[in-house]
Parts: sequence; structure tokens; C-alpha cells
Amino acid sequence: MSNMVIRKTFISLAVAGAVTMAQAEVVIGVAGPHTGAYAAFGEQMWKGAEKAAADLNAAGGINGEMIKLVKADDACEPKQAVSIANRLVDSDGALAVVGHFCSSSSIPASRIYEEGGVLMVTPASTNPALTEQGLPNVFRICGRDDQQGDVAASYIVDELNAKRVAVLHDKDTYGKGLADAMKATLNAYGVKEVLYEGLTRGEKDFNAVVTKIRSVDADVVYFGGLHSEAGPLVRQLREQGSKALFISGDGIVSDEFVSVAGSPAYVEGVMMTFGAPPSSYPSGKKVISEFRASGYEPEGYTLYSYTAMQIVAEALSKNDLDPMAGAEWLQSNSINTVMGKKDFDEKGDLTVSDYVMYEWDDKGKYHQIN
Amino acid sequence: MSQAAGVNFKKSTIDALIAGFLALILFGPIVGVLLDGYQFNFETDRVAWMVAIVAIGRFAISSFFQTEKGIAMSFRYANSNDGATVLAPGHKSKMVWIIPLVIVIGLLIPFIASKYVLTVVILGLIYVLLGLGLNIVVGLAGLLDLGFVGFYAIGAYGLALGYENLGLGFWSMLPIAAILAAVAGAILGFPVLRMHGDYLAIVTLGFGEIIRLVLTNWASFTHGPNGISAPLPTLFGLEFKRRSRDGETFHEFFNLPYDSAYKYMFIYLVLFAVVWAVLFIKHRLVKMPIGRAWEALREDEIACRSLGLNHVLVKLSAFMLGASTGGLAGVFFATYQGFINPSSFTFFESALILAIVVLGGMGSTLGVVIAAFFLTVLPEMLREFAEYRVLMFGILMVVMMIWKPRGIVRVTRTGFAPKQGAVK
Amino acid sequence: MDIVLQQLVNGLTLGSVYGLIAIGYTMVYGIIGMINFAHGDVYMVSAYITAIAIALLTFFGIESFPIIIIGTLFLTVAVTGAYGWVIERIAYRPLRNSSRLSVLISAIGMSLILQNYVQLSQGANQQGVPTLLTGAIRFSVGDGFVQITYMKLMILLISLLGMGILTYVIQKTKLGRMCRATQQDRKMASILGIDTDKVISTVFVIGAMMAALAGVLITLDYGAFDFYVGFIIGIKAFTAAVLGGIGSLPGAMLGGLILGLSEALFAGLISSDYKDVFSFSLLVLILIIRPSGLLGKPEVEKV
Repeated sequence: MSNMVIRKTFISLAVAGAVTMAQAEVVIGVAGPHTGAYAAFGEQMWKGAEKAAADLNAAGGINGEMIKLVKADDACEPKQAVSIANRLVDSDGALAVVGHFCSSSSIPASRIYEEGGVLMVTPASTNPALTEQGLPNVFRICGRDDQQGDVAASYIVDELNAKRVAVLHDKDTYGKGLADAMKATLNAYGVKEVLYEGLTRGEKDFNAVVTKIRSVDADVVYFGGLHSEAGPLVRQLREQGSKALFISGDGIVSDEFVSVAGSPAYVEGVMMTFGAPPSSYPSGKKVISEFRASGYEPEGYTLYSYTAMQIVAEALSKNDLDPMAGAEWLQSNSINTVMGKKDFDEKGDLTVSDYVMYEWDDKGKYHQIN
Repeated sequence: MSQAAGVNFKKSTIDALIAGFLALILFGPIVGVLLDGYQFNFETDRVAWMVAIVAIGRFAISSFFQTEKGIAMSFRYANSNDGATVLAPGHKSKMVWIIPLVIVIGLLIPFIASKYVLTVVILGLIYVLLGLGLNIVVGLAGLLDLGFVGFYAIGAYGLALGYENLGLGFWSMLPIAAILAAVAGAILGFPVLRMHGDYLAIVTLGFGEIIRLVLTNWASFTHGPNGISAPLPTLFGLEFKRRSRDGETFHEFFNLPYDSAYKYMFIYLVLFAVVWAVLFIKHRLVKMPIGRAWEALREDEIACRSLGLNHVLVKLSAFMLGASTGGLAGVFFATYQGFINPSSFTFFESALILAIVVLGGMGSTLGVVIAAFFLTVLPEMLREFAEYRVLMFGILMVVMMIWKPRGIVRVTRTGFAPKQGAVK
Repeated sequence: MDIVLQQLVNGLTLGSVYGLIAIGYTMVYGIIGMINFAHGDVYMVSAYITAIAIALLTFFGIESFPIIIIGTLFLTVAVTGAYGWVIERIAYRPLRNSSRLSVLISAIGMSLILQNYVQLSQGANQQGVPTLLTGAIRFSVGDGFVQITYMKLMILLISLLGMGILTYVIQKTKLGRMCRATQQDRKMASILGIDTDKVISTVFVIGAMMAALAGVLITLDYGAFDFYVGFIIGIKAFTAAVLGGIGSLPGAMLGGLILGLSEALFAGLISSDYKDVFSFSLLVLILIIRPSGLLGKPEVEKV
């Protein structure tokens, strides 16, 4: 026990020394892939959380205590996620964690946070299994793959009246979960997919699959995955002369999608599901313009991470910095964030999924389809 | 040569200029031109810094290697003296004292270390197991195996799938997984044993990848990329959970407050015992005919075969034993993690295990243990470097190899002298 | 029918690129018996240099496609060659006399260094190059059609040209003779007055240059890359090198083509999920029948 006391004292000493502030601090971990193949998303998460913490601290912190962020790198490897989660709980004394990014990291880490009594809000892990574990401390402010798949499937069937749908995924937790959810709803509507295949993440040559899509004569290609594969895929589709409509999920929400595809001409007409635009909320607009003013384009998960930070701060401040009480409080209260009002159900999912359809234009920008 | 050891600064300067120029070519585009979409920004000061650092560094190194000490060092690299250090016959190892000490310290660790340190140590021990397993295959039998992670995956998935489908727990799966992995080793080993060194390497690499791909693609059985939960070990039926659906939990039985650290302490103690058991078995095996046969086969296959050694059986036994150790490690990994998915079993993992064996000193048990801890604890210690962590790790790998090409610990062997007066 | 033809075209272009990268593996293996795990990352570096070269050239107002492509090729091949030389000098030469496994670990470390060095200096995000060459040839086959982009034709052409030049250099020039002599017996070659260290360096530079050629072509065609892109393609190219018989130059090209074709045909006609499983199984099968690969010379064991 004395060991604990010494360690806590040491941490607070180190903290006090580093920030030269006599106040106590609230340690919040930002866990995600800060290195490795997914480091781009880790950066988005960090930028969002960093700005949220700065804004919250400027407004007086959480109950007068300043927020101190800890960058926790899991490289999207479950092995490192477990290590870093134990470190956050044990050595860093974090009260809450914003993260992780990959569902495969979030799931094992969430159990450690539950045991350690730490609140966890993930901005990006969409796999349904995460909240189906029944852990009281886990929340997510992104939708679930099944919600997103529903929106896409009903759009394909109701609005596009497509009969020949090819479903592709990147064999990863997110991409396959999304594609499977979409496929399930599609089948429930009575439309059977004409092709269901997985690509390999990290490859860039999808010509063989594209030729196959041509051979089954698909009207719509639905892809569950990220822009790093979606870009080359849509380009090779067009280069082989296919005119099939390309639809994907929020994994392609990035300006890089256009540069990766090679030219805005290739992404024109590509559709995707994504949360309602943050710029439609007044507070969201302000944050976005501040980000832009500082020379950073808040893409993808930046604002999700910002929002996660706000939710963590709100839950902690309303419950005397008790994470587990905060978690219970979150299940029955709604919070105003830069992305609108958020309510959680008892599993920790958002009660209202705000997925809508977007379309890319010939200038390489996306707009909501009305 | 010793009187010519004065430093020729002109040569050093020329070396430094050449290095600086090369650095400019190398770093100029990658460091100096930061891509931004299809546009770019110049980052000239970054390049200037790096070129300056390289040039100054080269100057220092060049000067150093002209001093007496430096010349002595470069001679060290020029010679290679392979092989084991032979100790005098009847040499008493100091290990007799060290081993009990290590055991006592090891048993105390879970009670004094924090949970985070404990988990890192558990991970280290898991890699010790993996290293020991691969050491039999690569270090002793000389078969280069780049797909060792496949057996590790078999063990881990064996536990998770066995629990899900057959209701088998940790204790029953521990031996079964070892046997499963050994069988997989035999199935792989049989056709490939004809091949030589590096063909074997690529085939085993392919095997490791095939296992990972099947685990990813066969979603109806393995749950694909979503992964699968693995059960915790139990102590005579007592579970280490906060609450248990059936029966009592560990902390209820002993009237202790719940602490998640108990779980890790228990895993640690079991793992610690298993590692010692494996160490002991390996230690004995090496001295037995089969161990001698492995090493003999590594040194000269043709000679062994002409002496009547069944090379297929010998190689196969090494493969199977190594694989079963990998399977054991997999079971511990799955139970420690509580959740596994195919992303833990990539080729990089195989490379890391191989690095443990090579860095430890091929065939040396002590070296493997040290290297396993070095390579698993190091990334955690390097966390202070944040995003430079993996870069540092890579640099240390190269530097370690250049500094100690034959590994940390050289293999030693006690010499043998015939008993006097045995032959009259 | 049109689908099968199209898949053949896909496989040929993919395979020729694998072949180019496989050359780097096979030559290095042939000469010092080492698997150069950092080779895939050398390719990755060349992809970045390609994008930078294109950006620089367009920045200086060069619009015409042929000048851009020639300039990019020249710049990328030169700089990547320098990378090959420096990597060999730093990470492999100090280990010349130690066991081959030490060099292997050093190469794995080098691969980590290259990946993270590029990530730290260029950022982790996905990068792309603009599409410079559009348009395609379309043949009607039966009811369907086969479409080959000009870019694909260029890939086939330039990689054939590259391989041709390399074969000429190795077979007919003095440098090539020195390489072959060193490959056959390094000690003997050095006794005969060949500077083997220099030859080994040259081999690394040639390997890197071939990877750079592939890097320019792939980057122009697919447009997308990141710092992690070398890993998968590196393993594939290595597989191709082994398939064809590691150490054999025509073997690497043949292995690349076979691998590319088998991947395209399997993915296109059966399932893309198991395409890599198929490639590796094919490799195992070929090695069981011919333990030294398709064109590799069986090892003669000397007592």
C-alpha cells in the first residue's frame, strides 16, 4: 500500500515540476496508434484531444484541476494495447482514456480499464462487440458498424434501386464488420449480393478483383475499409472502364482519399456514410475554424476525439472526478458537445445514430446528399 | 604500426565532407521536401541539421579509428573466431549459486512490482518461452525458421477455440496446445526437411503466413479479424474474476478484497514454473544423444548421415519440440491477453523471436533469456521517446548486431577428459 | 474469355514489377548469401522520392509528360541507388565475417529504421501522385472487352527494358564478369584481384536501382503509397525470387511473372480471400518438387 502512496506522490511531484503549477491535475490518456501503419489516425486523435484539453484548461479545467494528457501508443497491436492500458491505469494514474482507435485494441484494453475503474470513451472503434461485452465504463461516440451498414443498405435499395451489388472488405475488424452489417441488411431487403470478397490491407493492386467485379456486372460496389485501399480500388475500377457506383463508409473520410486515388476525376460520384457534418453545429463551426487558423485541417476523427474529450471532462466534473460514477451518470444524461447533443444507452452506444449519405464531387470535396 | 597512430585530421575532414555530401543526397528529398497532397513545402533547416550531424559524427568516428584504440577495435571486426568457448574439464559452473538466487527474486517479483511492471515481465517470460522454442530449431538444429509465429498462433487459438467449442479450460489446453503445435510442426517439417537453409526459411515463412491468413479468412470458425476471447486460468476451480457465474471466486474464497493484480500474479507464477521446467528439460536434452545429434547435424549434415544418423528423425524432433514450446507460449499469451486476433501473429513477430535467438547467441540458453527480456522490455522503456520509439528500437538492433555479431552470450561447453586408469 | 484475358494482363503487369524487385533479393543472395529484409523498404523509399521528384519537376514548371517521367526515373534511380550503397556500408559491411543470421537481424533492424525514418520525416498519412498519363487501349473480345491503360503498357515496356539492360551488364561487361566471379567464389575472386567489397556494394546499388524502377512505375500506376507499403510487396518479391531459384537472375523474372499471374488468376477466377494462401502453397509445392526453385542450380555439397 505504501508503494502506491509513494508512487502517487512521485507522479504528482513530477507533474508539479513539469507544469510549475501548484494545482492537482487530472490525467487523461489518449490511446491510439501513434506509430505504425495507422499512425495517421493516431495523429488525428491526438490533435483533437490536445485542442480539447487546451480549450478546457483555458476555461478553468475540470473542477479547477488542469487536464494533463498522456500519449499512449498501441500501434494498433493488441499486445501493446494491453501493456499500455496497464501502464495508464497503474503508473500514470489516468482517470479516463480517450481511445483506442482499432477495435481489436479497444476490446482487450477495455477490460483492463474496467478492472482499474477508468472511464473509456473511444472516438473510433465501431465494432459492435466492444459494447456488447457489457462493461459499464465503455462508451463510444462513433456509431456502430451495424447502424452505418443499415443506412447504406437502405439507401442502396430504396433510393438507388440497385439489384446487383458487389460487397468488398479489407479483412480487418472495421472493414469486414461494416461490410457484413451492410450485407445483412441488404439480404433482409431481399437483395442478394453478386460478389462478396476480401482484399488484403496494404496492397495496392486490386486489378484482379476489379476485373471480377466487371465480370459479375455489378451496378454498385460497396467497400468496407479505409481510404488507403479505397483510393486505388476506385481508380483501378475506372481505369478498367467500369461505371459501377462506388459506396463506402466513414473510413474514407479524408482529403487523402482524393490524392490517393490520383485525381478528383476518379472520386467523383463516390458515396459514403458518415456522421452528420460537425459544421452544422454552431460550436462545431467555431472549433473547425480555430483548427484551420492554426494550419491544421480537422479531418476524420479529429473532432470525434475532441468530442470524446468533452464527454470525459463533463462526466468527471459532474461526479467529483469519480470515473465509475461518471460512467453511470453518462448512461442517463445528455451532453452538449461540438458535434451536437449526445445521449448514451446503457451499453455505452449513442442512442441516435446520425449517419447520413455523402457524395464526392469533381473537385474532390464531399457534400451531404439531401 | 603503433607509432603511426597519430590522427590525420585532413583525412578525417575529407571523410566528413564525403559523408555530409552523401547525407545531403539521401536526406535532401525525403527530409527536405515535405509532401502535402500533390504540393510540397521545403524544410531546408531540417536537412541542414541532419547533414551537419552526419558530417560531425563522421569526423569524430574517422578520427577515432585513427587512434590506437580505434585501430585495435577495427581489428576485432576483421577477424572472426566462431565456435564455442571450451572450459576446462571438471569446471564447476557458477550457475549453482545464481539459479536459486534468480528463482527467489523471480518468486518475489509479483508481490513487490506494480501491475504494469508485472505485465511487462509476463510478456518478457512469454518471449523467453518463444525464444527457447526457436532456439532448439535455429540455434541447435540449425534450421532457419521464419514462421515460428504460426505455432504461437496455434497455441493461442487452441486455448480460445477449445474453450469456446469444447469447453476446455486453461489447464487442459496447456498440454493439448503443446501437442497440437507439435503435430503441426511435424506436418510442416516432413515435406520441407529436404530443403536447404534459406529455402526452408521461405517455406516456413509461407507456413506462418498461411496460418495467419486462414485465421483471418475462416471467419465462421475463428471469428476472423474480430478476434476471440480466451479464458483465464483457474486455481483448483477458483476463478480470478470479480464475480463468478458458477462457484466461488479466488478472492471470495480467501476473503480478500478484489484486486485484478491477483490474476496477473497467478499467471506469472504458473508461467515462471513452466519456463523453469522448459529450461530444465532443454538443459538435459542438449546433453543427451538427441541434443548432440541436433548440433552435429547443424555442423555437418553429410558427415552425420554417413555415420548412420537418421537426419529426418533428428530434424523432425527438433521441429516438433520447438513448435510445442511455441504452442505453450501461445496459451499463456492468450490467457494473459484475454483476447486474441490474427494481428498479433504477423511476420514481424517471427522476426522478433528470431532476433531474440540471434541476439542471445545462437544456441545459448542464458543468452536467449537475456535477449528476450531485452527486446520486450526495451520497447516499453523507450516509451519516453514517444514516436521515435520504434526508430530507436531498429537502430539498437543494428548497433547490437554490429557490436556483438555472435550474440550477447557465447556458448560454453565443459571439456571432456577420459578417466585416468580406465584402460589398463 | 475477355475476363480471363484481362486477368492475364493484370497478372503480367503485376508480375513484371515483382520481378524487378525480386532482382534485388536474388542478386544480394547470390553474392553474399543474405536475405536483405530491408529491400522492400528501399522500394518504399523510392516511392516517396518518385512523388517528390514529380512535385519538384512540376514546381519548376515542367509540363510535358516525357520529360517528367524521364526526370523522375533519373532522380529516383540515382537517389535510391545511393540509399542502397549507404545501407550496405552501414548495416551489412561490418558484419561481413559473421554468421549470416546476424546480417539478417541487422537487415530487419534496418527495415524498421527506414520505415520510421520516412514516417517521421514525411508523416504517417497516405500519399499520392497525380495521374499524369490517362487513356487506354480497348480490344473487343466476344461480348466483352479487354482494357489496357497506357500506363500498364509502359510498365511492361520499361521493366522489360530494365531487365534487358541488366542481363546485358551481367553477361557481357567487365563489371558483370566481376559480379559473377564474386558470386561463384568470393575468396578466389579476391585472390584474382577483384575488389569484392566494391563488387558487393555495386550489387546492392543495382538491386536498389531496380527496386527504384519498380517504385517509379508502381507509384505512377497505382498513385497511392505510404511508409508501410514496402512490407507486403517485399515479401511477395522475395517469394518470387525463391520460386524462380534464388541467386538466379532469369529465375527472379520468371518467379515474378509466375507469382503475378497465379495471384491474378486465382483472385479473379476463384477467391481473392485465399489468393495469398494459394501463392504460398504453390511455392511450397514447387520447392518440394524442385528444392532449389525453378531455375536455381541444385546445391552441390562438398565434403
